[in-house]
Amino acid sequence: MALLTERDNTTVMGKIRPVRSRNFALTVPALLLLVVFFILPVLSLLLRSVLEPEPGLGNYQALLGSTTYLKIFLNTFSVSALVTVVTLAIGFPVAWALAIMPSRLSSIVFAILLLSMWTNLLTRTYAWMVLLQRTGVINKTLMGLGLISEPLPLVNNLVGVTIGMTYIMLPFIILPLYGVIRKIDPAILQAAALCGATRWQALTRVLIPLATPGMVSGALMVFVMSLGYFVTPALLGGTANMMLAELIAQFVQSLVNWGMGGAAALVLLVVTLALYAIQLRLFGTARMEGR
Amino acid sequence: MTAPFLQIRTLRKDYGIVTAIRDVNLTVERGEFMTFLGPSGSGKSTTLYILAGFENPTAGDILLNGQSLIATPSHKRNIGMVFQRYTLFPHLSVGENIAFPLKVRRLPKTEVDAKVAKMLKLVRLEGFEDRKPAQMSGGQQQRVALARALAYDPPVLLMDEPLSALDKKLREEIQHEIRRIHQETEVTILYVTHDQEEALRLSDRIAVFSKGVIDQIGTGPELYANPSTRFVAEFIGDSDFVTCRVLSARDGRAELAVGKDMTISGVPIHGSAAAGSNAALMLRPERLSLKRGQTGGNGLSATVTDITFLGSNIHVAATVPSGEALSVRLPFGHEATAGLARGDTVSLGFDPASAHVFCA
Repeated sequence: MALLTERDNTTVMGKIRPVRSRNFALTVPALLLLVVFFILPVLSLLLRSVLEPEPGLGNYQALLGSTTYLKIFLNTFSVSALVTVVTLAIGFPVAWALAIMPSRLSSIVFAILLLSMWTNLLTRTYAWMVLLQRTGVINKTLMGLGLISEPLPLVNNLVGVTIGMTYIMLPFIILPLYGVIRKIDPAILQAAALCGATRWQALTRVLIPLATPGMVSGALMVFVMSLGYFVTPALLGGTANMMLAELIAQFVQSLVNWGMGGAAALVLLVVTLALYAIQLRLFGTARMEGR
Repeated sequence: MTAPFLQIRTLRKDYGIVTAIRDVNLTVERGEFMTFLGPSGSGKSTTLYILAGFENPTAGDILLNGQSLIATPSHKRNIGMVFQRYTLFPHLSVGENIAFPLKVRRLPKTEVDAKVAKMLKLVRLEGFEDRKPAQMSGGQQQRVALARALAYDPPVLLMDEPLSALDKKLREEIQHEIRRIHQETEVTILYVTHDQEEALRLSDRIAVFSKGVIDQIGTGPELYANPSTRFVAEFIGDSDFVTCRVLSARDGRAELAVGKDMTISGVPIHGSAAAGSNAALMLRPERLSLKRGQTGGNGLSATVTDITFLGSNIHVAATVPSGEALSVRLPFGHEATAGLARGDTVSLGFDPASAHVFCA
């Protein structure tokens, strides 16, 4: 019977549908896992944000009405934006170099990139603390060279957070960008040169526009990941520039205020989803036009 | 005396221990259509890429109007180029692609627009300016590439096998377009191809490349009638080769012994050969005459192995006693072909002046 209906489907609706519905069954375990361990907890947090300490939108009023919290939102966005810009500025040349360097060399660079990604996040962040602190390697070297007389404040501030997060985010921009740049035919850049374009013009008028889909997707990924980042800002940042994830942790861990924590988490989630929707829109269509 | 328009002087390019080209010397007149013809790896593209500035020569020089181009980077050479692969900028429309070289030269907008319209008209693609390259066929894309390369009135246009990705019919169509555009614009064209028919159809002169050197430069008929190397003889037109023995050579003409009983004199000889040494006698299939029966001393005796009717022509394949295969092309209805069958003995005759001897 089942076989018969599938046959019918095949003739009436084309070949894809029955295959698709059969494959759907295979996703059920994964979906169950997501529902139990992700969607339900998020929903419960969402519920707590409107139920605790008393039912209503009080938590959201408190969160969005206070300049202290708004400052934290603003700081979260500006740090994420800064990290995204710096990551792009460093990642683009690296991706370009990777795309044009001989494959032997590029596989070494890739190995370094991946190794750093696979190393424990805490370890890497502490390593930056060692490097950046007042008596750290960087300050000692600079002072030893006589370039500075006082140690530079490189940690527990915006500089520390930006350096630490940029370092962590770099692979997420280099990898997609590398894929896009790899696909650009070098002859197109040769054509641009013969057309009279200087290196700069070839970069700004040809290479960057062609790499834009990769840059947009990489940048959005980095921005969204940065919005919710906790470890690096907590260890390398200062109290003056707290980020949203730190605030949520504080609500839940120190103040045991699940209501406020849930509200802040929901705001973060909404912003993230909105950005994801923008990415899909921009990028989905851009891709289709490109083909 | 004015300097030649474009001059390539003892150009050489080494990649490590491999020499891609050497001793490339060439002079091109203004408005000339010059084709680099040769198999892949013969150095024709390398020469073109050095002209474009993508490669630096190991030695030698390129002079345009007496000025060396070598130190000038690609973007300042003001040379146009159409590539083998499609190189239109995929994010720009057809009109923007053609405008690109004008915009990077910062020409005023009115001038750019007028030029784009003129170029679209030249390549007969009016009304396509808003299309994206991906929406156009391969042939159309190459025409846009041609328009883009000509938009800034380059003194020299380089074309690197621009039609190799197209099918045969389309290729012929665009060959006509290229000829027409060459005549209309009077631009000097350096064209690279491995297709002898394409080279013969398009070019004023052809430089035949083989193993990194130019074997011969000349018009199509010159190369066909007077090939200076065996390679050129094989590459341009069809050719038969028969082993012969050089009896004597004087003033570029040789006396030869072919087979057992045939002796001919007055055959143009290329390269030097000691008397008594072996050489290759080149014959053109359509210059051979065919008679039934034994030779009687003034022709090559051969056995017919195959007869193929090809419309206006009939191809007769025959083997000489040494085992070498020859092909003979006769017009349809030729008296000698009537009743000719496999296994027949025939006598192949030729004018010694139309043959060539190449020494190993």
